[in-house]
Amino acid sequence: MFERLLFEAPDFFTYHNVVFLLEAAARTLGMTLIGCTVGFIAGLLIAVLRQSANPWTLPLRVIAIAYVETFRRIPFLVIIFIVLYAIQPLLEDASLLTIATIAICLVSTAFLSEIVRAGLESVPKQQIEGARTLNFGAARTLWYVVLPQAWRVILPPAIAFAVMFIKDTSLASHIGVVELTFSGKMFVNRGFSPLLGFGAVLVLYFLLSYPLSRLGTYLEKRLDPSRRS
Amino acid sequence: MNYTFQFGEVMAELPYLLGGALVTLQIVFFTFFLGAALGLMGALGKVYGPTPLRKVISAYVIFITNTPALVQIFVLYYALPDAGILLSSMAAVLIGLTLNSTAYLTEIIRAGVVSVRQAEMDAAIGLNMTRLQILRYVMLPHIAKTIFAPLSNFFIWLMLGSSIAALFGVEELTGRAINVSSVNLRTIETFSVVAVIYIGLTLIASMSLALLGRFAFRVKARVF
Repeated sequence: MFERLLFEAPDFFTYHNVVFLLEAAARTLGMTLIGCTVGFIAGLLIAVLRQSANPWTLPLRVIAIAYVETFRRIPFLVIIFIVLYAIQPLLEDASLLTIATIAICLVSTAFLSEIVRAGLESVPKQQIEGARTLNFGAARTLWYVVLPQAWRVILPPAIAFAVMFIKDTSLASHIGVVELTFSGKMFVNRGFSPLLGFGAVLVLYFLLSYPLSRLGTYLEKRLDPSRRS
Repeated sequence: MNYTFQFGEVMAELPYLLGGALVTLQIVFFTFFLGAALGLMGALGKVYGPTPLRKVISAYVIFITNTPALVQIFVLYYALPDAGILLSSMAAVLIGLTLNSTAYLTEIIRAGVVSVRQAEMDAAIGLNMTRLQILRYVMLPHIAKTIFAPLSNFFIWLMLGSSIAALFGVEELTGRAINVSSVNLRTIETFSVVAVIYIGLTLIASMSLALLGRFAFRVKARVF
């Protein structure tokens, strides 16, 4: 097994193959970044919506809760299938990458809204009541009082989620998005040994994910609210 | 855009799909409990073991948790035959998911073992408690409290993650959904029904775990 690997390695690591692998890695990273950014903004909106007690927003809140609970309980693979077939009648010429990114955004919104909500709920109620006494509006309370305290609680699990998500995007390979896992499949189909093709992919995933997970554990220790003096 | 939903043909296959849910549950229970047993050993090794063992366990956990399970199973399924080891698709998936759950559960259980304070252990020894009493009355409540929430989250994650078995041709819930949809060509409907089954499964799991936590370990757990 390993002799074959050494034998094929010079053919494998040619300039074009390496560029192809790196482009695929960039696509994986791009999908994760877009997914987490969109998911974070939409998740923040949902979390803020769920915090409000205004009776007029009740139907919206019910929809938000239903959305979050649904998408956190369906496998990503199933969501990809549903989005793949549901998008096509809506958007005629959506590329596979677009479809995968939409599926990713749908899922990450649900998960990140829960993470943001836990952060918002960690801020003591007295702070919000104090802000209201000072005649702060909802937006200013959020911006000046809640978020400066909540982000320490939000950031570490949000990064842990992003680490998780880099790996979950590998499922997009199944519908044919040329990301890292798919590039591995293509190399194996071209006749390289599976250990070499998928091994290179594993190493690249590790290189994407490990620095981020180290940052996550560092921030978790650094930002621990109970450690604040 | 004009699409008419037709659930009739999917509903006819409901018993077949629910049988797939049973296979999913088997995969999840097998990998979770095997992973928990190995993870417990890993956690104890990482906390109390000699330095080389600790380094090996850390390296294992870091490698597994930073690479996708899908690609790991690809390696097991496609690369091992080169070394003369032929795994069935089910075996490859079970081994791959067990490798993953071992790594994640090692980290989760380790956090629980570390959460027991040395001062409390000293006090328990001072009170002349036996090892078994220390484990039962001093360590277990702390460990249960710390690890219960991440443990139940991981169980749900595993239930959803087991769907990757479908990509290797294992006929669990998602795999059977692919089979059904490729026959009746009602993909949206089939996968919607399967999504509802998954929601049902994970809701039942969350609720049972919350009840278990409340009555067995006195941990307040939330379903929503």
